[in-house]
Amino acid sequence: MTADRRPTIPHRRATTLVTLVAPVALTAVAVLVALTWADELPDPVATHWGPGGTPDDFSSLAGALLLLALTSVLLSLSCWVLALRLGAEATTRRIAAGTSVGIAALLAVLVVGSLALQRGVDDARDTGPITGVVVAAFATGLVLGVVAALLVPGDPDVTTTDAPPADAARLPLAPDERAAWTVSVWSPAAIGVALPVIALQVVLSIVLDTWLLLAIAAVLAALLATMLVLRVTVSAAGLVARSPLGWPRVHVPLEQVVAAHAETISPLRDFGGWGYRVALDGRAGFVLRAGDALVVERTGGRTTVVTVDDAATAAALLNTLAERSRVS
Amino acid sequence: MLLRVDPSSPEPLFQQLADQVRRAVARGELTAGARLPAARELSTSLDINLHTVLRAYQELRDEGVIELRRGRGAVVARTDDLAALHEAVDQVVQTARRLHVPPATTLALLKEALR
Repeated sequence: MTADRRPTIPHRRATTLVTLVAPVALTAVAVLVALTWADELPDPVATHWGPGGTPDDFSSLAGALLLLALTSVLLSLSCWVLALRLGAEATTRRIAAGTSVGIAALLAVLVVGSLALQRGVDDARDTGPITGVVVAAFATGLVLGVVAALLVPGDPDVTTTDAPPADAARLPLAPDERAAWTVSVWSPAAIGVALPVIALQVVLSIVLDTWLLLAIAAVLAALLATMLVLRVTVSAAGLVARSPLGWPRVHVPLEQVVAAHAETISPLRDFGGWGYRVALDGRAGFVLRAGDALVVERTGGRTTVVTVDDAATAAALLNTLAERSRVS
Repeated sequence: MLLRVDPSSPEPLFQQLADQVRRAVARGELTAGARLPAARELSTSLDINLHTVLRAYQELRDEGVIELRRGRGAVVARTDDLAALHEAVDQVVQTARRLHVPPATTLALLKEALR
């Protein structure tokens, strides 16, 4: 690990609005709406439904609303802290905002919806099933979560006109010479761990005749496909790393390259796992296996990492091309 | 792999590309099954005509160095073990240097001998 270089987090105010203010306001509205119904609700109210669709757990209205408020606010606070500490990449800030708003909306609709069903009911035990409310809660959470993620502004396009430092490696090129470096990298972890798990799920779902397991296996397989193989290119377009499906994709234009170098990476120690990762020091990128990795310091204090073979050549070429783009 | 072209060199661009692949295979840097960049991708990265890349790949295919498959792109077809040849080439180079024979003359002699 090179440095304790904390990256600057852009769009702090917008991130705070979407990740903290919006979900807390949403929770407050939900609590207030439920409080206006206090006279029409049974005491205690039903808070949990058993498998048969009948209520099996009860609490006072105040207790139920306090639990909702505490859970949502704590979750949103955690997401907000995460976004402002680790959110050098737009992806991280979007995931935090989406999770925060999505889960707050899900919980709010779940609680308010289940209370709406109990208005005018004398005994909470007589409340009907809440399948509709659960479906509506998940749908609202999903939609609002995606909207929140989209509302978070992307990364600013900060460019530099400084050449990479003299001690950064170069790859000598003739004045008119063009060069491109391409390599494929695949993930032994993804194949060694995820593939057997998916295979097991498929077998289980057939044996047990449980189609939900098959659906989960399909989602996992789709996720795996995006993380299995990467095509990494260094050329006049900068650094591009993308899966054969076209997404996920990382692009560092030459104007954003401060300096590049090769480094040995340990996925577990440095990034806590495999895949598209964000480390605690704000470095982010594709960590598919242990070993040689191309590390690109970018403008705005961001650092992009891609595990590739022959990273030294890639780093040298990237420095050379970046320098050349500054001169001309 | 690193591929480079120099438009100011007298050698045609497709030749420059094909030579680099040949060299990499001969040196064992590219082994059977290794995938070359897709022709379209490479032409974009190097800012050269797609047909230039295709011509290089076709030439390599005709020599049996690579296989071109629809959808799979260009794949190295064989692994060369040319260690003995490398040694011989090194000796030729050393001898030429010792005798102060210019590279062009050495090349001409080699070309003549290979004919």
